[in-house]
Amino acid sequence: MTYQDTWAAGRRTGTTPRHGGRPAAPVSPTPAPPRRGPGGRRALALLFWAGLVAAVLPWWLDTPAGSMKDTGDLLTAAGRITGLVAGYLLLVQVLMMSRLGALERWVGGERISRLHRDVGATLLVAVLAHLSLLLVAYAEADEQSVLGEVGVLLRDYEDLLSAFVAAGIMVLVGLTGIRAIRTVMPYELWYHLHLASYAALLLGFGHQFSNGAQLHSPGPVRTGWIAAYLLVLAALLWGRVVAPLHFNLRHRLRVADVVAESPDTISIYLTGRRLNQIDMLGGQYFRWRFLARGCWWQSHPFSLSAAANGRWLRLTVKVVGRHTADLRDLDPGTRVWAEGPSGTFTAAHRTKERALLIAGGSGIAPLRAMLEELPPGAALIYRARTPADVLMHPELDWLAQARHTSVWYVIGSRDDPGPRQVMSPDGLRRLVPDVARRDVYLCGPAGLVEESVRALRAAGIPRRQIHLATFEL
Amino acid sequence: MRRALLAITGLAAGTTALVVLKGSPGASQVATGERSPVVPAGSDPAALPGVAPTPDPSDPALSARATPGGRQSPTGRAGADAPRPAAPAPTTSAPRSTLRTVSGPQVTYEYGTLSVQITLSGTRIVNATGIGMPQSGQSGRRSDDVQATYSGTSGEVVRKQSADLDTVSDATATSEAYQRSLRAAIDRAR
Ligand SMILES: Cc1cc2nc3c(=O)[nH]c(=O)nc-3n(C[C@H](O)[C@H](O)[C@H](O)COP(=O)(O)OP(=O)(O)OC[C@H]3O[C@@H](n4cnc5c(N)ncnc54)[C@H](O)[C@@H]3O)c2cc1C
Repeated sequence: MTYQDTWAAGRRTGTTPRHGGRPAAPVSPTPAPPRRGPGGRRALALLFWAGLVAAVLPWWLDTPAGSMKDTGDLLTAAGRITGLVAGYLLLVQVLMMSRLGALERWVGGERISRLHRDVGATLLVAVLAHLSLLLVAYAEADEQSVLGEVGVLLRDYEDLLSAFVAAGIMVLVGLTGIRAIRTVMPYELWYHLHLASYAALLLGFGHQFSNGAQLHSPGPVRTGWIAAYLLVLAALLWGRVVAPLHFNLRHRLRVADVVAESPDTISIYLTGRRLNQIDMLGGQYFRWRFLARGCWWQSHPFSLSAAANGRWLRLTVKVVGRHTADLRDLDPGTRVWAEGPSGTFTAAHRTKERALLIAGGSGIAPLRAMLEELPPGAALIYRARTPADVLMHPELDWLAQARHTSVWYVIGSRDDPGPRQVMSPDGLRRLVPDVARRDVYLCGPAGLVEESVRALRAAGIPRRQIHLATFEL
Repeated sequence: MRRALLAITGLAAGTTALVVLKGSPGASQVATGERSPVVPAGSDPAALPGVAPTPDPSDPALSARATPGGRQSPTGRAGADAPRPAAPAPTTSAPRSTLRTVSGPQVTYEYGTLSVQITLSGTRIVNATGIGMPQSGQSGRRSDDVQATYSGTSGEVVRKQSADLDTVSDATATSEAYQRSLRAAIDRAR
C-alpha cells in the first residue's frame, strides 16, 4: 500500500473483501474452538478476595471493639493485620507459581507473572510493615530500644530467628524482581535465587503458630490456616511434578527435525504418542526441556507455531542467546520434556467474531498457529525489518487463501514513514475499517506491542478486546 | 507497576481503616453502650474463671495505663457486633481498660503454695507475678530467685509469652509449681 519499494509490500490476501463482507468461498474445515469466557478468571479473582477477607477475619472477631488505648496497641493491631495479610499473600504467590493447569489456562502464564510481580511488591511491603510495627510496639511494651528488642525477639521467642531469615530472603528476592536489577542478571541466576522463596515459605511457617495471636490456640482458624498451607503444597506438587510426569510419560515427545526458517530462526518439529489427545490451542506455549547435552538443565518457554494436527508439534525459535543457539544443533530423536500447555492467548479467548493480528518478528509464531483456529475473515499485519525477516511466507499465503485472511506485510524499521503511517490510529482504521469491533492479538517485541496498544486505544478499541503476548515471564 | 502501587496503598488504607474501626473510642462507646443496660458495671459475666477486674496495683506502669475503675474488656467475640450502629446510650462508665488480669490456680509444692497472676493486653502477656510464695529463709530465697527470673514486665514470662520457661537452678520445685499455675492461667486467658 504505502511502500511499493519492497517486494513484500502491499496486501496479500485471500478472497475476503477489505470491508469485511462474508467470503463466498466454502468455509475451511477446522471450526473455531468454542469460546472460553472470562468466567474461570473471575471465579479465581473472587476466590482471592474471599481468601483475603477470611485471613483477616479472625483478627476482627478476636479483637474487642475499642480495646486499643495507646499507640502501642494500635501498632500491635496493625502489625497483626499486616502479618495475616502477608501470610496469605505468600501462599497466593506460591500458588500462582504452581503451574496448576487450571491457573495456566484460565489466567494464563504471562498474566500470572505480571500479577506475581505486583503481589510480590505488596507482599514485601506487608512483611516489612508487619516486622517493623510489631518491633516498635513490643519495644515500647518491654521498655526496650528497638535494637534491644530485636535481640529479645531473636533470643527469647520461639521460631523468630527463622522468621527473620525468611524476611531477609523475601527482601533479597524482592530486590532481584526490580526490573533494572533483573535485566542485568543472567536469567538462570535470577531463577535459582528465586527458588529460595520456598525456603522463606518454610522458615516463616513456624512463627505464625508459636507467636501468632490468632493462630496460637487450636481451633478452626489454626486448622484452616494449616489446611491452606497443605493445599498450596499439594497444588505445587501436582502442577510441578505429577501433571508433567503424567503428560510426558503419556506423550513421550522427541525431536523429529530442525529446519531453518531464516538465517536466525529455526523450526523444531516434534513427534510423540497420542498427539491427537493433547488439549492445546494455537497461541499457547509449553516450557520445553530438551534432554541433550548442555540443554537439559534449562527449560525455556516457546509457543506452538502450528495448530494441533495429531501428527506433529512445531515451535519456531529465534536465536537470541546461548540456549536458543544450542537448539540449532539438536539431533533428531532427542527426548523432550514439556510442561504445559499454558496461556490465554488463543482463539478461544476471543470476544468478537473477527480478529486483527499484529505480529513483529518471531512473534508471528503463535499467531500463525492461531490463524488456523480463528473464525474466517481475520486480518494480519506482519511487521518485519527486512523482507528476509519474514518467516513462513508460503504458509501465510496458503492460510490467507484457506481461512480468508487478509495479510499485510509491513516492512521497514520502526521510524520509516510506511510503518509509522500504518501503525497510527488512522492507518489502522484505514487498513481495517471495522477494527473497533475486532479482537486484536498482539505479539512481538515490547516496543512494538506498547506502540500498537497506544495506537489501538486511540483508535477506540476497548482494552478487553486487546490480547497481548510479549514473550516475557 | 501501577497495580502494585495501588495494592500497597490499599494495604495501608485497609489496615488503617480496620484499626480505626476497631480501636476508635467511638466504637468502644457503642460497645459499652450496648452492654451497659444489661450488665451492671464490674460484674461482666465473662466466660473466664479467675478473672480479676483490677490490674495489678503493684506495678505503676501498668496501673497508669489501665483506667482506674475501668471494667475488664469482654474477651472473645464481643468485637464482632461492634460496628452495628446502636443508639448512643448515655454511658457513665469510664472507657474499658484494655488490660485484664488472670490468675492461675493455687499450686501446692514442697515449700508452700503459690498462684501466678498474669496481666494481658489483648492476647499478649505484659506482666506476671507469683502470689503467696513463702517469704522466709531458704524457701524465701528460692521464691525471690524465681520471681526475679520469671515475673515482672520484662521477666521471662513476658519475653517468651508462654509457660515453657527454663528452670531456675536450685529452685526446681518452685519453678515447676510456678510454671504449672502459669500454664493454667494462660489457658484460661486464651
Ligand atoms: C510465553 C512465551 C512464549 C515464547 N514463545 C517464543 C517463540 O515462540 N519463539 C521464540 O523465538 N521465542 C519465544 N519466547 C522467548 C524465548 O523464551 C526466549 O527468547 C529464550 O528463552 C531465550 O533464551 P536464550 O538462552 O537463547 O537467550 P538469553 O540471552 O539467555 O535470554 C534472552 C531473554 O529471554 C528471556 N529468557 C531466557 N531464558 C528464559 C527462560 N528459561 N524462561 C523465560 N524467559 C527466558 C530472558 O528474559 C532474556 O532477557 C517466548 C517467551 C515466552 C515467555
